[in-house]
Amino acid sequence: MKFDGTDLYAALIHELKNDLGLLSMTIDGIPRQGAAGHDGPVDAARMLCQNVVDRLQQALLIYKAIDQPIRPAIDAWSPHDAVHEIRDRAAALARGRIRVEAVLAPDVPEIWFFDRDLVEMALINAIHNSLAHARSALRIEASMTEGCLALTVRDDSAGYPEHILACADANAPCQSTGTGLGLQFSSAIAQSHDNRGRRGELRLHNDQGAVFCLLLP
Amino acid sequence: MAVDSDVNPASPSEAFIDYSALRALVVEDYPGMRNALRLSLTNFGITRVQLAANAAEAIYQMKQKSYDFILCDFNLGDGRDGQQLLEELRHSHLISLGTVFIMVTAESYYEKVVATAELAPDDYMIKPFSPEVLRSRLESILLRKRAFRDVYRHFHAQELEAAIAGCDKLIQGKPKYLVDALRFKGELLVTLGRFDEAEVLYQQVIAMRAIPWARLGLSRALHLQNKDEAAEDVLRDVMEQAPEMVAAYDLLSDVCLARKDASAAQVALEKGVAISARTVRRQQKLGEIAHTNGDLDTARTAFSNVLEKGRHSVFVTPGDYGNLCRVQLEQGDLQGAADTLKKNKSTLQASPEGQLVMAVTQGMVHVKSGNLKEAAKAVEEAIDLREHGTRGDANLMLDMAGACMASGRHDKADGIVAEVARNAHDSEALLARARKIYDEAGRTEAGASVLAVATADVRKLNNEGVVLAQRGDFRAAVDKLLTACAEAPRNPRIMMNAVWVILKYVDQSGMDETMIRAARRHLDEAERQAPGHARLAGLRRQLKDVETRFGIRRRGPA
Repeated sequence: MKFDGTDLYAALIHELKNDLGLLSMTIDGIPRQGAAGHDGPVDAARMLCQNVVDRLQQALLIYKAIDQPIRPAIDAWSPHDAVHEIRDRAAALARGRIRVEAVLAPDVPEIWFFDRDLVEMALINAIHNSLAHARSALRIEASMTEGCLALTVRDDSAGYPEHILACADANAPCQSTGTGLGLQFSSAIAQSHDNRGRRGELRLHNDQGAVFCLLLP
Repeated sequence: MAVDSDVNPASPSEAFIDYSALRALVVEDYPGMRNALRLSLTNFGITRVQLAANAAEAIYQMKQKSYDFILCDFNLGDGRDGQQLLEELRHSHLISLGTVFIMVTAESYYEKVVATAELAPDDYMIKPFSPEVLRSRLESILLRKRAFRDVYRHFHAQELEAAIAGCDKLIQGKPKYLVDALRFKGELLVTLGRFDEAEVLYQQVIAMRAIPWARLGLSRALHLQNKDEAAEDVLRDVMEQAPEMVAAYDLLSDVCLARKDASAAQVALEKGVAISARTVRRQQKLGEIAHTNGDLDTARTAFSNVLEKGRHSVFVTPGDYGNLCRVQLEQGDLQGAADTLKKNKSTLQASPEGQLVMAVTQGMVHVKSGNLKEAAKAVEEAIDLREHGTRGDANLMLDMAGACMASGRHDKADGIVAEVARNAHDSEALLARARKIYDEAGRTEAGASVLAVATADVRKLNNEGVVLAQRGDFRAAVDKLLTACAEAPRNPRIMMNAVWVILKYVDQSGMDETMIRAARRHLDEAERQAPGHARLAGLRRQLKDVETRFGIRRRGPA
């Protein structure tokens, strides 16, 4: 088998991602003891581990997006199921440290057309951010905005820093590491969703905390 | 607005799932992951979990007892992969549509789009995933299966009309399952030969959103109505939007074949193979078309891939070994053909069909290397197998005729060619190949007369039967066509015509159990000889209609 440089990195990331997945499952298997000195560090390790797994997944996708645009595999999915799944994942990561809520507006339809895996990847990105910065709560919402399905992650943190909001408004790339890279990635996912000429969008603003909103046409 | 802040909201009773009642099977080749997955399942209440390390173990377990949920890694090391396992389980009726099958893949961009909902897993999980995601996905699939319970029950009992009615009920009453129900209904309509209705249905889905499977379905419905130009336009669009959708290339090759453009059909399949080389049937088809096109290198690669990728597949038959050897011999690679036989000796010796492939190929190898004594021995062995009722596919039988002729057994050769010709009186490709064999043996005239005599009777009986049927004399038409069936017991065209006139006759004169039994038998045989032929679905439906009208219920799998 022959590797050129970048393929080697991709294969390596792939392997590390799988090992980390296994590590994360191993941590899941450690029983809780009810003692803060034990459970706290285990929970922190679990969250860090999941965070790295999710970031590596993202890295692989970005690596692929270098050569070709992100091509979403659109199908009919239930926004209700997606929101509840993300809520469960967030709650499992938060371990009671942060309150996690899910809210579905009554006009959200039973099905919507989007790439579930990509959209969830973007939302999980936002969840990791919120879990790191929120004071006490985060909320996942689905609603209808401008004829689009709006999937929102909202927290009670100090909000996004000005420079990130400025980049988002200008639709310009931010810093290429950490939060900035994740947001750029989420924005690319939103924009890859297209319905009869209407493109998806990522909207960021502050409203008693950070608000991350994916608009899917 | 409904706010729920709990991880486990109180479930309404219709959404209640008793995980402790589920039987689960985890198929994963890596022991560490296997145990971790079992632990995850146990954590959310699934206590009855069996483990399998590969496809063979999984099949063994599935034969012992039934499972409600299979969690299967796509990559299973050597042997079958997860998709091949799923296809085999469906093919051998080891799982029903009521069983949840979730595929675990390492790649986020893996070929997700399988041609039919029946062969697609219920969901894909990208590795690594958290237990919460698995539980949430499993739960929504279980609820969907619950909603589709009646549809699946009718489907498995071959009550397709009732299954469609079940889909309609979901389409009207369950908006959450609207698209799933439309997708399944579309496939049922195609199976029943109601292509025009399928076309309308797929247009309806596309009006909601032009999702690739709906456009593929539309293209197929158009192709089956011989609207091949429109079908191709739709396919070109699909390929532009979703170039990884490999099923589109398979369909494009069918469309090209229908337009008698075999080289375009080959190009389409080559593109499909470039995306996914694993599917045995795609490689088989590529090999056949490339062989017809005289592209022996491509045919050889494809036929080799069939054997290599399909080493453990149920879809590989002894004929596939014969196909590879034939190409190798045509390339003058005698050693290659001999090696193919040697390498697969134990597989081939396990069945009479395999033994026939060996004997015929050995005969041809010896003929070509001028070793006539050994050739005669192999040919005698093949003759003996045939006399005991063993048959191969038409091409293998023509190979056998060629080897017989080269060994001086003209009588046997003529008999074999006559049989092939009777069973394929309308196949230009096979008749042309038969003529070529006679030409090469310097027996052009003898060949012409063998072929003329063999096809004349069948053709005459068939034509007379059809004319009688058109005049409305169905009784006499049935007699003619059943005689033709007896003469050409593997001729799909004749079988289908016989079924058609029997149904006409019963329709006119009332129930005749013996006739209906004959119709069923001949339809099954036609299906074996020409799987997927465009006329089969329609005949199945008419047969079903007649049976329903006269109150016959066929026993189907539960």
